Amino acid sequence: MIQTIVQNIEGSPVNDWILSSSWLWPLLEIIHFIGLSLLLGAMLVVDLRLAGYLRSLNLVSTHRLLPWATVGFALNLVTGALFFLGDPGRYAINIGFQIKMVLVLIAGLNALCFLLAVRPKLAGWDPYGDTPPLAKGVAWLSLAAWFAVLLLGRLIPYIGTG
Amino acid sequence: MSAFEWLEGTRLALWVGESLWGYPLLLSLHIIGLAIVAGIFLMLDLLILGLAGGVKYATFRDLFPLAWSGLALNAVSGLALFSSQAATFIVSVPFLVKIACIAAGVVLAVLLRRRLQVLVDRRDGAGAAAPRLLAVLSLFAWIGAIIAGRLIAYF
Repeated sequence: MIQTIVQNIEGSPVNDWILSSSWLWPLLEIIHFIGLSLLLGAMLVVDLRLAGYLRSLNLVSTHRLLPWATVGFALNLVTGALFFLGDPGRYAINIGFQIKMVLVLIAGLNALCFLLAVRPKLAGWDPYGDTPPLAKGVAWLSLAAWFAVLLLGRLIPYIGTG
Repeated sequence: MSAFEWLEGTRLALWVGESLWGYPLLLSLHIIGLAIVAGIFLMLDLLILGLAGGVKYATFRDLFPLAWSGLALNAVSGLALFSSQAATFIVSVPFLVKIACIAAGVVLAVLLRRRLQVLVDRRDGAGAAAPRLLAVLSLFAWIGAIIAGRLIAYF
C-alpha cells in the first residue's frame, strides 16, 4: 500500500513543484521550526500550569495561549504534508517518521481528552491552586508526546529507513 | 593553525563529528532547548502585544528560569556542534547572524524581565505601559535566530 501511495505522489504536479524550487524546501523548514516553537511554547506553559506548577499564573488565563498552539500545529501540518509530498519515498518507509505520526495521533487523542474531560471543569478549580490527578495526567502525557514528536522529527535523517 | 582549527581537532569535536550518535544526540538536545527558550519567549512577546486575549503577563517572570535552562542547554549543545566544524561556522554569515540574534534576544529578555518585575511590584499594575517595543524586538530576535539557524545548512 505504501508503495502505491509513493508511486502516485512521485511525478505528480505538486511533487514536481516542491522539488523544482531551490528555495522552497528551506522556506518550509523555517516555517516548520517557527510552528514547532509556537506549539511547544504554548503547550509548555499550559501543561506545566495544568500539572500544578507555576501557580502564580492564572490557570484559566494560560489557556488563552491555546490558539497559538493551534496556529503552530496548522503551520506544521501544512509544511509537513508538503515535505511528505516532496519526498514521499524517503518519509513513508522511515521508522522515525512513522513513530512520529503515531505520537502526533496520541497527542491529538490526549488533546481531545483535555477538551472533553478537563476543560469543562477548569472554571471550578482554584485558578492559583493545585490541579486534580486527571488534569495532571493529561498535562504530562501532552508534554511527553509533543517532546517525543520533536525528537523523532529531528532524528528522521539519522534513523534507519525500514 | 587558528584557534578554530585547533578546536576542530579536540577530542570533543572529533567525537561530535565522527561518532555514530554524537551529532544526532546533540541536534536532539539543541531542538529541545530551542523549543523551550524560543517557545517561552515567543509566548511572552505575544502576551505583551495583546495577542492572547488580554492575559496578565507580569507573573510570566516565573517562567524565566525554565527559559534560561533551555538557553543553557543550547549554549552547551551548540558549542559542541560548533566545535566539529568551527573553522567553517565562524565564517558562515547565517551562523554569525544567528549568534547576533540570540545575543539581542538575551539582552531584550533581561530588559523585559526587569519591566515585568516593576509591574508585579506595583501590584495594581495600573498606569504602567506594556513594554510593546521590547516585545516586538524580542519576537524579531528569536524568529531571526530560527531563520538564520536553519539557513546555516544551505550557505
